[in-house]
Amino acid sequence: MGETVPVIELRGVSATRGGFCILEDVSFALGEGETSVFMGGAGSGKSSLLKTAAGIVIPDSGAVLFRGKDVARMTRAEERAFHRSYGFVFQDAALWANQSLYDNLALPYRLHEPLAGEAEVERAVFRAAETVGFRESLSARPAELSTGESRLIGLARALVLDPELLFLDEPAAYLDEESADRVYSIIDQLKARRRTIAIVTGSSELAYRFADALGVLSGGRLLAFGPYAEASLWQDPALRGVAGRLKTRKKTAEGGAALLEAWAAALADSLDAPPEEPTAEGDDGAAGRGGRSDEEKA
Amino acid sequence: MLRRIGESVRRRAGEILYGLGFFYSLLKESVLFFRRRQVGYRVLVMQILFTGYEALRISAVLAMAIGVAINLIGASLLAEFGQGKLMYTLLIIVITRELGPLLTAFIVTARSGTAIATELGGMVVNHEIEAYVAVGVNPLSYLGAPRLIGVVVSMLVLSIYFNLFGLLGSFAIMQVLKPVALAEYLRNLVAVLTVRDLMSGLLKSLIFGLIIASVSIHRGFAVERASTEIPVAGIRAVGASFILIILADAAVTAAQYLG
Repeated sequence: MGETVPVIELRGVSATRGGFCILEDVSFALGEGETSVFMGGAGSGKSSLLKTAAGIVIPDSGAVLFRGKDVARMTRAEERAFHRSYGFVFQDAALWANQSLYDNLALPYRLHEPLAGEAEVERAVFRAAETVGFRESLSARPAELSTGESRLIGLARALVLDPELLFLDEPAAYLDEESADRVYSIIDQLKARRRTIAIVTGSSELAYRFADALGVLSGGRLLAFGPYAEASLWQDPALRGVAGRLKTRKKTAEGGAALLEAWAAALADSLDAPPEEPTAEGDDGAAGRGGRSDEEKA
Repeated sequence: MLRRIGESVRRRAGEILYGLGFFYSLLKESVLFFRRRQVGYRVLVMQILFTGYEALRISAVLAMAIGVAINLIGASLLAEFGQGKLMYTLLIIVITRELGPLLTAFIVTARSGTAIATELGGMVVNHEIEAYVAVGVNPLSYLGAPRLIGVVVSMLVLSIYFNLFGLLGSFAIMQVLKPVALAEYLRNLVAVLTVRDLMSGLLKSLIFGLIIASVSIHRGFAVERASTEIPVAGIRAVGASFILIILADAAVTAAQYLG
């Protein structure tokens, strides 16, 4: 059986911008249906890594391969197919300010589905907006949105073509808890549908929740990239910070799960137990089951 | 010292080569504009509206004022030499050949050159250009080409418009100084007007339009990441356009008179 070709592969990629090195000899591969999370501090080159993998930033040396094909040597048709295959969520949404939200979502669809009628475009646009939970008018301009809403529209734009590959740059940043939960559930759904996902983030939460593979960046160099399960065992001093945060996250989550389990067991026990007789002091059943009295609630 | 000079020369040469390559790519995308699938017709229409239509008023006022001034100067100066009949030749040479395209180019640079450079610069800073690239849109084709075509078309139209209003201003002041019938005025103008004069004005307008658009688009896309670079891009677009326009004007005029 032959080896499967990675969806995206970077081979010895280095890139500079404004005279500064933003990526240095970076190599990794994203497997089909895998979620890879790249962590690192501010200025570590996370966004540049994602943009280079998506063909937005042209590397000075090295190669970016999409399903084994060098992105720099693609024909126009191959290049179009490459851009059709992925959705990119920018850290600051990067919505087109001079177009309505509807047109922001419709442009990729119109571009890659030129035979689609306006009704089909409209269906795709509203489906994408609904997926991210955006229920406001799409005739507004991006300037009228809050940062969180812009992020959601940015995500909707990336999803409008239902791509096989997603690049997410800090997908939950600037979002309120409800919106962040929605984003997490969208990523869950995408994972369940075996989409290949690359996420860059400074938060261990996303890595803990979604990562099949984890990479750590610092100063434009990819210090480590490997299966998530092995990440907490990393011994390299430069990686201890990330490994420590992941261990803490795991412990917290396990502690939370144990607490939840104990609480559920206690609740089940109390429901199974026969109701207690009211006492002479007039205690009610709720107080007897551990609930708080009306006075306490007040 | 020598090394620094060498590096500076090399960098400058690299910038010029890059600029020429950029101009070639932009021109190619503009030629192929109507054949592309990802056509920014809306951008083109908006550019013509902003650069051409919205500049009509200022262009008309300026042209009429210039027409009046040339007539006043010409009437007093030429009369001293007994060459009053050269007034019409002077009008055609100054308005149609020289000042029409040149002043129109200055108006377009000041209004649209800065607008193009700062708008594109803003789009770069807000990562909108990267978002276009991500969905598979070529920014040169989608944002650059319609702006170039829009500016060139507007330059040609505004230049003709400038000529009409310049000659109208001259006619208006004549009615005060030395009244002449409109038919006679037009007949005298047509008598001295040659196809070469017309072609010269239009050729200059075309070249100036190409310069303004490509310099402004180049400066806009050259913004890297900071919002403070945006006004600098606008200023540089105006400065570089003015210099290149004057050099091109001198070159075309020299070619006409010496060639």
